[in-house]
Amino acid sequence: MSAVISARGLRKRYGKQAAIDDISFEVAPGRIVGLVGPNGSGKTTTLKALLGLTRCEGSLSVLGMDPRLERDALMQQVCFIADVAILPRWLTVGDAIDFLAGVHPRFERAKAERYLTNSKLVPSMKVKAMSKGMVVQLHLALVMAIDAKLLVLDEPTLGLDILYRKQFYQHLLEDYFDQDKTIIITTHQIEEVEHILTDLLFIRAGKIILSASMEDVDRRYTEVMVAPEWQAQAEALHPISTRSVFGKSVMLFDGVPREQLSPFGEVRTPSVADLFVATMKGGNP
Amino acid sequence: MKTMRWLIKRELWEHQGMLLRAPLVIAALMTLFVGAMLLSGHDMALSINGQQATLSEAINGAYLSGALEPQRKADMLRMIASGYMAASAPLFLMLGFLVFFYCLGALHDERRDRSVLFWKSLPVSDASTVLSKAIVALVVAPVIALALGTLMSLLLLLMLCSTLAFKGLNLFPALLATPELYLTPLRIAALLPVYALWALPTVGWLLMVSIWARSKVFLWAVGAPLLTGAFALWASRAYELGWNSGWFMQAIVARVLLGTAPGSWLLFDQQQRAQLLDDASQRIDLPGIFAHSWAMTGSSALWLGVAAGCAMILVAIRLRRWQEDI
Repeated sequence: MSAVISARGLRKRYGKQAAIDDISFEVAPGRIVGLVGPNGSGKTTTLKALLGLTRCEGSLSVLGMDPRLERDALMQQVCFIADVAILPRWLTVGDAIDFLAGVHPRFERAKAERYLTNSKLVPSMKVKAMSKGMVVQLHLALVMAIDAKLLVLDEPTLGLDILYRKQFYQHLLEDYFDQDKTIIITTHQIEEVEHILTDLLFIRAGKIILSASMEDVDRRYTEVMVAPEWQAQAEALHPISTRSVFGKSVMLFDGVPREQLSPFGEVRTPSVADLFVATMKGGNP
Repeated sequence: MKTMRWLIKRELWEHQGMLLRAPLVIAALMTLFVGAMLLSGHDMALSINGQQATLSEAINGAYLSGALEPQRKADMLRMIASGYMAASAPLFLMLGFLVFFYCLGALHDERRDRSVLFWKSLPVSDASTVLSKAIVALVVAPVIALALGTLMSLLLLLMLCSTLAFKGLNLFPALLATPELYLTPLRIAALLPVYALWALPTVGWLLMVSIWARSKVFLWAVGAPLLTGAFALWASRAYELGWNSGWFMQAIVARVLLGTAPGSWLLFDQQQRAQLLDDASQRIDLPGIFAHSWAMTGSSALWLGVAAGCAMILVAIRLRRWQEDI
């Protein structure tokens, strides 16, 4: 099956400032992709371009359609949560379900109702009476009841407490995700999503600086806690970052075989967060 | 079609207070007021064929002469049967304001609270969304006002006639046999298409400003046309350009700002205006208003406005496609 998303040379500028600058990437079906980058790196602009919410240059195909020209047809297959708590305040739970059942051909009412049975949400409840966590619960229940091929989540758990955040990703993974679906997530809380991601896209200053599957990351990157006596030899292999923990240097290597590194000290796969920090610091991975 | 039905329902959910509850409250208050007046025995001023009288005088007159003269009775019946809908005038006045402010917020509020991102995540086109709002403004809101107005007017009429019946003057049989009683709401209902066509440029303008302005929607919507008019007036005077700024004010500015007021079309044509003022000194001439109103559909002024209104709605649809939240 061909790529769900294929972007080539995407550009978007706001005035003189380039928000995204010549971005190219592909996403295959059945993947969960983490789009990770610091504030203002162009994450949201990239997602908006994919969803046909903003104009951009370059060639772009989502599910075989150009979001700039065929947005109405595309939205039958794509769903997104753009931000937390953006449901209109006057909407009640029951009206929201009725409305979606009315306008969305791929919405399954029973599913949404099932997701809500274990929550405190009742049909007559208005969004303005809900806590932030409950709004997200409702939004997620609505979105998960839509049989969409692509789900885009932009900071879906921002401002929620840890219980809601854990629950959110657990639901997403257990009740929603399957081989025919693709999910793109942006978030600052990388630690919480890294175990569910299959692919990583790092973005910095409007450019993609890393595009790899988690298997690639395992294979390419190695973190070594270097004993002091090996310091010089280890540095000769050009680590992409060095930090010090309890007086020992922790070095991150890209593309150096593990056998070669294991004599230096304890070897492990870096966390996505560490990898993110290392690549954002300016090294070219 | 199904989507449109849900979109209109959605608008009614969101604007329940404005579109349903507010007119309902006004109607209830008026009914209560009239009821209290009738119960406390306050006299109602009547004008029958230009003669001023109060209700009790009319009834006493009937008593003194033994029975109401047939001619006077017929006049009174006709006046009541064709004039009772005048009681709903406050509802129609309010309709003008409601539609105006509804349109002003229609495409702005959803961007301000960012819920536009939710609506845009659904397979609903911008055209359907904007059209649903135009339909609510031009059709649904007036129909609600008319339905409520008719109900309330009939209720008031029932109350009045019951009071009269208690005082010994039973108008029910004669009134129910008067065709005017049934024709009056139908005549007003038949004006709804004229209202929709006449309000279209205002609705189009307001929807366009609502999507285009990032803030201060009211100021843009009202200030821009007024300032343009004032500028035209000043420029024409200062440089003796001989522009017809009076025409500009009336044909552009007034139509862009006042179109949602029911019956505003009657004030547009100067000749008609004079004629209506003449009539107004006597009584409400509903058949006359009806004829005048439908005559407007033959005027190029109305259709130019409709074209401009449609064009502005198209612009609003195009703008909503790429406009981001604010």
